[in-house]
Amino acid sequence: MSGFETIIYEKKEGIGYVTLNRPQALNVYNLKMRDELYQILGAIKDDSEVKVAVFRGAGERAFCAGADLTEFLTAPSPTIARQARWERDVWGLFLSLPQPIIAALHGYVLGSGIEIALCCDLRIASEDVQFGLPETGLGIIPAAGATQTLPRTIGRAKTLEMLLAGTRLNAQEALHLGLVNQIVPREQLFPATEKIARKIASRSQPVVKYTKFAILHGLDLTLEQGLELESKLASLALKVRYAE
Amino acid sequence: MPYFNITYQVKESIAYVTLNHPQDGNIISESLAQELRDVCQEINEDGDIRAAVFSGAGNKAFCLGNELERHLRDKNTGRNILVEIESVPSRYGVASAIARLTCPVIAAINGDALGQGLELILSCDIRITADVAHFGFPPIALGLMPIDGATQRLPRLIGKAKSLEMLLSGELISAQEAYQIGLVSKIVPQSRLASEVDQWAKKITTKAPIALRYAKEAINKGLDLTLEQGLRLEADLYFLIHTTEDRETGVRAFLEKKPPEFEGK
Repeated sequence: MSGFETIIYEKKEGIGYVTLNRPQALNVYNLKMRDELYQILGAIKDDSEVKVAVFRGAGERAFCAGADLTEFLTAPSPTIARQARWERDVWGLFLSLPQPIIAALHGYVLGSGIEIALCCDLRIASEDVQFGLPETGLGIIPAAGATQTLPRTIGRAKTLEMLLAGTRLNAQEALHLGLVNQIVPREQLFPATEKIARKIASRSQPVVKYTKFAILHGLDLTLEQGLELESKLASLALKVRYAE
Repeated sequence: MPYFNITYQVKESIAYVTLNHPQDGNIISESLAQELRDVCQEINEDGDIRAAVFSGAGNKAFCLGNELERHLRDKNTGRNILVEIESVPSRYGVASAIARLTCPVIAAINGDALGQGLELILSCDIRITADVAHFGFPPIALGLMPIDGATQRLPRLIGKAKSLEMLLSGELISAQEAYQIGLVSKIVPQSRLASEVDQWAKKITTKAPIALRYAKEAINKGLDLTLEQGLRLEADLYFLIHTTEDRETGVRAFLEKKPPEFEGK
């Protein structure tokens, strides 16, 4: 897949690399990026060759600094905008991918940027990373899930602080809160991400998908229902494994 | 009840269960799993027990997993497994039996807790580890996924992202990292593990047994409820405690500035 304006998509050895590619604008998320992301996510979801996906940002300064505010004042009417939001539900699609997604985060990870990161399963960050939710300062609220995904990741108090007081998090704070899995030096960001992506890509693919499914869906169930789900998927995995 | 794969003793109201196959890393066989389920029932039925401690024999491993990995390499037993595959999780599963223990449960992690060994410690209430222990899920490399609750209990303890990393990468983490991510409560040198765990268990036995059970129940059940329902459960259990003798003993001892002696009534 090629010919995108705002994103680079490459596939190498079972890993799909999605690079947000508007470095001159700190990779901010605009309508074009939404449409292209929608296409790429759909393709990854249906592509059995892609075992793991990696998200990263082009340029030195940002993974993604938020939404493109220059488009905000030309937005269509609220009813049309709402319709568009659910016609092309990028975020719902993101969360429905069966493959694990790893975010490689550097520089600014703000607004939509942190929301993209939260749609990923694992987050690896470099030391220069900075997380924030500037929405309320702009008179808006997050619309790509942060009010739901962030408290489920770092808890209620810190989410409210970020959103209401505009507190930003550095790498150490993010690691401490469990927002990122690992911190690495900037030059190690892509190699470290690739290393873990390769490791996961080397695993039995049914088992990887079942495990992700059990963990993600299990958290919305009672423990008892979750254990039942795991037990069913584990039996299925054993069948696949012993039948080989 | 006689046990062959585990050791079981009760000392001063504390039940000690030890996986006892140190020569092969205390791995879980069907018979060992059955004994663990049986001992859990025995503990629950013994009104004198106020805390339980789970550990592994030897100084290398707490538990290195289960027999499924070995069966996978042995074509013959592998075929037997295939016949009754739906029942594998229940035949090998022990974590749910441990989770059903009503008294506080401490995992004394004397060495590596891998595969199902990792799953087992997740249903204990407090995890104390020797500094030499490692934690992880290596069977993913063989195409096996958790069968004893790790996909559900691990994210509830350490979150989704770190759980996915551990269960999908299969890489081991050290005791130090386990402490940092909240998987264990304390790290001690291996030689001091037993005395440290005893100290925790003894502290627990000085508290009112029914209050301990109810507090444990409120926390565990509450996590599956909405906040409003959870608060309701807590209040209901609180008022049930009003009917116990221990409550009066505790309050009176406090007012008389004496240590209370609870009878669990």
